[in-house]
Amino acid sequence: MKRIGIPRALLYYQYFPMWRTFFETLGAQVVVSLPTNREVVTTGQARLVAETCLPVKIYAGHVCWLRDQGADSIFIPAIRSVEDGAYNCGKFLGLPDLMKAVVEDCPPLLEIDLDVPKGQRELYKAIYGLGRHFTANPLKIKKAAEAAWQAHLGYQARLRTGLTPLEVLEDTADMFHVPRSQFQVGGTRNVRPGTLAGTADFGLRTSSLTVAVVGHPYCVYDTFMNHDLLAKLRQMGVRVVTYEMAPEEGIEEGIRRLAGTKYWTYEGEVVGAAGYYFQEPQVDGVISVAVFACGPDSTMLEVVRHAAKKEGQRYMSLIIDEHTAEAGLVTRLEAFVDMLARCKRRASPPPGLASCQGGICPAN
Amino acid sequence: MKVTAPRAGNLWVALRAALDQLGVEYVEPPRPTQRTLNLGARYSPEWMCVPFKIVLGNFIEAIELGADTVVMAEGINLCRLGYFAKLHEQILHDIGYPHVKMLRFSWQEKIIGLVKFLRGVLGEDLSWREIVGYIKYGLQQIIVMEDLEKRAHRLRPRAVNPEAVSRLWQQAGPRVSAAHTAPRLKAVAKAIHAELDRVELKPGFEPLRVAFLGEFMMVLEPSYNMDLEEELGKRGVEVVRHSWIAEWAKIWLFLELIGLGHGDDFKKAARPYLRRDVSGEAMQTLGETVLHAQEGFDGIIHIQPFTCMPEIMAQNIMPRVVSDHPIPVLPLLVDEQTGRAGLITRLEAFVDLMERRRVLKRRGTGSQRGVV
Repeated sequence: MKRIGIPRALLYYQYFPMWRTFFETLGAQVVVSLPTNREVVTTGQARLVAETCLPVKIYAGHVCWLRDQGADSIFIPAIRSVEDGAYNCGKFLGLPDLMKAVVEDCPPLLEIDLDVPKGQRELYKAIYGLGRHFTANPLKIKKAAEAAWQAHLGYQARLRTGLTPLEVLEDTADMFHVPRSQFQVGGTRNVRPGTLAGTADFGLRTSSLTVAVVGHPYCVYDTFMNHDLLAKLRQMGVRVVTYEMAPEEGIEEGIRRLAGTKYWTYEGEVVGAAGYYFQEPQVDGVISVAVFACGPDSTMLEVVRHAAKKEGQRYMSLIIDEHTAEAGLVTRLEAFVDMLARCKRRASPPPGLASCQGGICPAN
Repeated sequence: MKVTAPRAGNLWVALRAALDQLGVEYVEPPRPTQRTLNLGARYSPEWMCVPFKIVLGNFIEAIELGADTVVMAEGINLCRLGYFAKLHEQILHDIGYPHVKMLRFSWQEKIIGLVKFLRGVLGEDLSWREIVGYIKYGLQQIIVMEDLEKRAHRLRPRAVNPEAVSRLWQQAGPRVSAAHTAPRLKAVAKAIHAELDRVELKPGFEPLRVAFLGEFMMVLEPSYNMDLEEELGKRGVEVVRHSWIAEWAKIWLFLELIGLGHGDDFKKAARPYLRRDVSGEAMQTLGETVLHAQEGFDGIIHIQPFTCMPEIMAQNIMPRVVSDHPIPVLPLLVDEQTGRAGLITRLEAFVDLMERRRVLKRRGTGSQRGVV
C-alpha cells in the first residue's frame, strides 16, 4: 500500500479530512507529520531565505520530516483560486515548485492544480489527474471525490458547533491511523462561565469574558508557533471563539462592512471574522494573530485596524515570527484580558483601542 | 483639478506631454528621495513592500505641491499590488487629506478600461478616436525615451567620460516632453541620438554584462534602486533589463487581448523550476536567469522589495537554477532601511567577483559557480 505524506501545516487545518478521505478511499495510507516542534522549525528555516514567512518555513520542515519517515509520495496542492474574483497568496500556488527546489531528495510529489473559476470541467480534470496515480477507473475516482466532499462538509458542520479544528481532528484521530497522542490540542476546552474555578486568579471575573481570536488557521492552531495561544487564554478563564465558529453569512457581511469587496480568498479568516465579532455583543474583545512579512495580512490587518479605530473596538494585533518569546506574549495577553475585564466591570465599558502596531502597546 | 500619478520610469514624460496638450494641470511628483520613503513608511502598514511606501510618499509630496486628484491602477491578482489604490485612498483620508480624490483604473479591462478611465478624467465628450490618439502619442513618447535609455545604458560603460552620457540622458526627458507633435518628437529624438553619437568611447573596451532582473517597479524606476544602472555603468558594467513600460504596454494593451502574452522563451526556460505563474516577475526572473547564463552574461542582479510575495519565491528557487546554469547572482532586498553606501559596496564587490571570474575563465581555470 502506498504511503502518502500530508504535511501538518498551512491548509491542513482546513482540508485534512477531505484529503484523507480521498486518498484512503482510493486505497492509499495517509501519514501526517508530527505537530510542529523546534526541530521542524529549524529544519525548515535552514532551507529557505530568511525573508520567507514562518508558515512556509514550517511547511518545509514538515516535508523534510515526511521524507525522513519514508513516505512514498507527499501531497502538495497548488491552489490558485477557489472562488470567482478572489485569489490566494502566490505561495500557495508555487508550493510544489518551491518544495522541490528547497528540499533535497524530495520524494515524488502528488500535485493538483486548483483554479476553481476556470470552471467545473477543469476542476474535474484536475481531480481525475490526481486520482490517476492510484487507479485508472474514473468511477472509483469519482466515488472517492464524492466521499471526500462529504467528509469536508461533515468537518465544517462539526466546526460550527463550537469546536476548534484541533478538537475535531482529535476526536476523529483513530480514523487517521495515527496515534491519538500525536494530536496536540493544548489547554482545556471552552468552559462555561464560572465552571473553571481557581484557574484564573486575576482578581477579576475573567471567566465571564469571551475573546475572538482571528487569523489564518495555520497561525491560530499551530500550537508551537503561537506558544499555545488558545490554551493560554483558556487558562485565564476566557472563552475563546474563532473563525470556524462564525456563521458564513456573518463572515460575508463582515468583509462587506470592513473592506467592501473581497480580494483574498482567505480574507474571511481575518477581515470577515473580525468584522463579525466586532458586532457580536457577547464578544468582549478581538485578537488577530498573523505572521511577520505575510503579504495578504499586511493589507488585511490595516483594514481591520482602521475599522477597530473608527468603531472604537477593543482589539489587539499579535505578530508572530520565529523569535517571538513566550513571556512577552503572555504579558500582552494578560494586559489585554485585564483591560477587557476592567471594561466589563464598569457598567458602560469605555471604548478603547489596544492595537499594538510594531509591538508597542499604548498605555491604558 | 490638479492630477498626479506615481512616478514610474519614463511615464511622467508622456503624462506631462499628453496632459499639457489637454489643458489638464499635472503635478509632477518630485523624484523620490529618502524623505519620500520615510513619509510613506510612516503611514504604511509595517511590512508593506517598498513600492507601496514610495508611491504613498510620492502622493503626499505631490499633494503638498497642490495636487488634489491622484491616479492609481488596480485589479485583482495574486500580488497585493491590486489592493494598493484602496489602501492608499484610506490612508490619505486618514492622515489629513480627506479632500483628495482617488481615480482608479482597472488594468484587467485592458485598453477598454484605459479609454473608459481617461474619458472619466478628461470628460465624456472626448471621442474614442481622440483618446486612442492621445494614448498613441503618449506611447510614442515613452518609446523614444526608452530607446534613449537603452542607448545610454549601452554607452555609459564604454564611454571615456560616463558623466557625459548621464548628463545627456538627464536632459532628454524635458526635451522630449516639450515636443508636442509627432514630427517634432522625431526631430528631438534624432538630435539627442546625434549627440550620443559624438560621445567618445574607450577603444577596444569590453564591458562586463549584467542582467538586471526582479520586481518591475524596482527595476524600472532608478530612484527605487538607487540609480543602480548608472552606478554600474560608471564602473564599466553594461546593464540589460527587461522591464520597460513600452514593452509592458504592448503586451498588456494589445497582445493579451488576442490571446498572446509575453514571449514564451523565458517561460519555457523557467519551467523546470517554476511551473506555475505565481504572479509578479518571479517566472521572468528565473527564466531570464537561465537564458542569460546560456548567453554568457557575467552576472545577474536580482532586486526585490522586502516582503515581496512573488520574488521571494524566485529567490528561494534561484540556488537550484544556478546549480544547473552557473552564473553569479547578487540578490538585493530593498526596504526603507537600505542605505546607498551599503548597496554600492555590495555592487563593487560583485563587479570584482565578475571581473575575476572572467579572467579565470579566459585562462580556462577556476570554478564557474558563485552565488553572492
